[in-house]
Amino acid sequence: MSAGTMLLRITSAATVLLACTALGFGQHTAFDLEGHVVDPLAHSSKVVVLVFLRRDCPVSGRYAPVIQQISKAYAGRARFWLVYPDKSDSAQEIRKYLTEYGYHLAALRDPEHTLVKLGRAQITPEVAVFDRSHRLVYDGRIDNWYADLGRARPAPTTHELEEAIQAAFAGKPVHRSEVRGVGCYISDLE
Amino acid sequence: MLHLRPGINSWLRDAGWTVILSLAAGAVATLSGKPARQASSAATPAEQVTFNHDVAPIIFHSCSTCHRPGEAAPFSLLNYSDVKKHARQIVDVTQSRAMPPWLPQPQKLKFADELRLSDAEIRMIQRWVEQGEIEGNPADVPAQPKFVEGWRLGKPDLVLTANKPLTLPPSGTDTYWNFIFPVPIQQTRWVKAIEIRPGDKRYVHHANILVDREGSSRQRETEPGAGFGGMEIRIESQVFDPDSHLLFWKPGTVPYVEPEGMALRLDKGTDLILNTHLQPSGKPEVIQPSIGIYFTTHPATKLPMLLQLENDAKLDIPPGQKDFVVTDEFLLPIDVDLLAIYPHAHYLGKDIQALATLPNGTTETLIHIPQWNLNWQAVYRYAEPVRLPKGTRVSLRYVYDNSEENPLNPSHPPARVRGGNRSSDEMCHLWLQVLPVNFDPARGDPRMLLQEALARHNVEKNPADFEAHYNLAAMLQSKEKIEAAIHEYQLAVGLRPDDAAANNALGAALVAANHPEQAVQYLRAALKARPDYFDGHYNLGFALAGQNDFAGAAEQFRLASRLQPQDANVEANLGAALAQLGDFPAARSHFLRALQIDPNQPIVKENLDALQKEMNSH
Ligand code: HEC
Repeated sequence: MSAGTMLLRITSAATVLLACTALGFGQHTAFDLEGHVVDPLAHSSKVVVLVFLRRDCPVSGRYAPVIQQISKAYAGRARFWLVYPDKSDSAQEIRKYLTEYGYHLAALRDPEHTLVKLGRAQITPEVAVFDRSHRLVYDGRIDNWYADLGRARPAPTTHELEEAIQAAFAGKPVHRSEVRGVGCYISDLE
Repeated sequence: MLHLRPGINSWLRDAGWTVILSLAAGAVATLSGKPARQASSAATPAEQVTFNHDVAPIIFHSCSTCHRPGEAAPFSLLNYSDVKKHARQIVDVTQSRAMPPWLPQPQKLKFADELRLSDAEIRMIQRWVEQGEIEGNPADVPAQPKFVEGWRLGKPDLVLTANKPLTLPPSGTDTYWNFIFPVPIQQTRWVKAIEIRPGDKRYVHHANILVDREGSSRQRETEPGAGFGGMEIRIESQVFDPDSHLLFWKPGTVPYVEPEGMALRLDKGTDLILNTHLQPSGKPEVIQPSIGIYFTTHPATKLPMLLQLENDAKLDIPPGQKDFVVTDEFLLPIDVDLLAIYPHAHYLGKDIQALATLPNGTTETLIHIPQWNLNWQAVYRYAEPVRLPKGTRVSLRYVYDNSEENPLNPSHPPARVRGGNRSSDEMCHLWLQVLPVNFDPARGDPRMLLQEALARHNVEKNPADFEAHYNLAAMLQSKEKIEAAIHEYQLAVGLRPDDAAANNALGAALVAANHPEQAVQYLRAALKARPDYFDGHYNLGFALAGQNDFAGAAEQFRLASRLQPQDANVEANLGAALAQLGDFPAARSHFLRALQIDPNQPIVKENLDALQKEMNSH
């Protein structure tokens, strides 16, 4: 029994790696702010959270304190990356944004939308959560703070990102594609 | 025995009007630099839609005023690549009519600067996106809209900047902050326009100016110049001064220049209070508003007034209720021109409507907002004044949604909500800026008739409404119906026995009605509630003098003079009381001091002469 489970895990991790290759890591890919190619899923045995942001998107901006707070709460167990899919964003502009919003998280440029596709992101802000074996367990909104553009609840009443992180910790292999985020389309950048 | 007359003719100080001016709001003027509208509905479904030919005219006309650097919107919409970068979102927000922000439904009575896309324009944008966002022929693109940079009306005559900026925290709920701007003028001036620069416009939802002639708001600051929090603020006014101007800023507002004869009065010692609604952006923001004032030499000759319909007392909304209806109506006692309208509710407000039923039975919609959104509240100015004859019934009907389905509901799960000033309370207010017409000036200020009718209406609607009794009393008193005024003040004091202003006003009215012995207890109650109350000391001084207690009177006048050392009346009356006590040298020096402050006081001169004669004869 226990050997079988082991085997299964290795298989599924291998599938994801394959998927990554298929998405073109190595050829078209994401960069850190120094310009190095980075695969946020490689060499990580932690839960990985990709947070998709547009600098020109006010809702993305307003979520900064929420993202910071959640990333802090799971620090050590989940690795957070901020992903900027606007190809016209320079590393310098992103650095300035990180400073202004007080972010202490690693940021990636995703000009080819490699990570966008991997994390099935459509809107900023949205998140993609990968479990320890790099399976996508959740993609969609962070919570339901925004009911619609310009109509924010005083506080969110659902917390999809945190639930997904906990599911990933618990090793629940369900992929859930939940409600899309409210904010700015990533496809408008193409 | 000396016969001394009071310092000046009007010697009693009553608190007069308590007007809630929290909603005094502002002007929406013609957008400057608006590009001429191009007919863009030429394309038929078969034709190719391009940015340059079809979409740019719509964007330049209806979006670029706000979507450009330095304005309220988060990104620019000034050219093809700007618009392409937000194309699908633009389809969404135009179809939902979230953009351009314009809440009222189309109606027969037109508003100035209506900013609403036609259905054809919305379809055009959608088709452009469906067809692949084609840029088109460069020759087709209309000229870039031109905008006035900096102060819209040129350099203001006076610029006031908030003493202390506010640092808006990165997160949290919306913030309501009030900045106080003392106006450094030495005499009454007339103002034709005020431009509000609310600080970084991206984080200010709206701002409005309230006129505080009494400095009462300063008491709410923890330190001078710090400003104070609060969504709805209340300012007491001492004179019949209905403060009839709506000074409002929202994104896209261009300052409104009052028409000839409708200038706003600014007195020496006035504070302007800027009430702002701010939204956190995710990073700390420093907000430091400024105000530009444009004077005119033409005093006001036309005096509009703000009529307030409201029914906060009926707001007691059970949790879960989706359609809670509140109404109010008011019968106009005189002919008026309606100039502007300002509806106000908080986060449960859903469908907001105001109607006018004319004496001939026809009904006009004054405003209808089917999906209320506090974030985009505004003052709406009519394109043409709307004549409402005497006998017109103005009514409001507001619907509130206190269910879980209302995402803006401040409570989760929903809780019972009542009327109140906090953002989690509700409001049901409608302000109408009206200008009385067809009246006989010889018969007095027609606004008095409106005020009295309104005060009576409010007292009938809600007998437990303190302010209604108070305002009606003040109204009656100003018409010298003193016994009726005393009755209403008594009802007000009965409702709020510890209210300083009401006790003071009742005391003052009793003194005026020659009952100083009855006045004393109320004036003492006023001073117990507010020991540094200048008016309370002043009036108590009078009440005591009226009972020949000159020692007591002198003491009160002395306390008053300590609070306001530059008040000539206090000095004159202190002198009179001291003279009665036989302390002639001290009396003389206070008379002289009164004349030094204000040389133009014949009665003081008379008293001084009488005193001099009395002193010489000894
Ligand atoms: C009166 C000023 C004003 C006008 C006119 C205006 N906008 Fe906006 N727009 C704003 C403001 C302010 C925001 C930011 C809203 C927020 O952050 O809640 C905004 C936000 C947006 C957004 C992003 C939505 C969001 O909530 O993040 C889009 C898209 C947009 N506007 C499109 C348009 C288009 C298209 C037009 C013209 C048809 C237009 N706007 C006209 C002020 C304006």
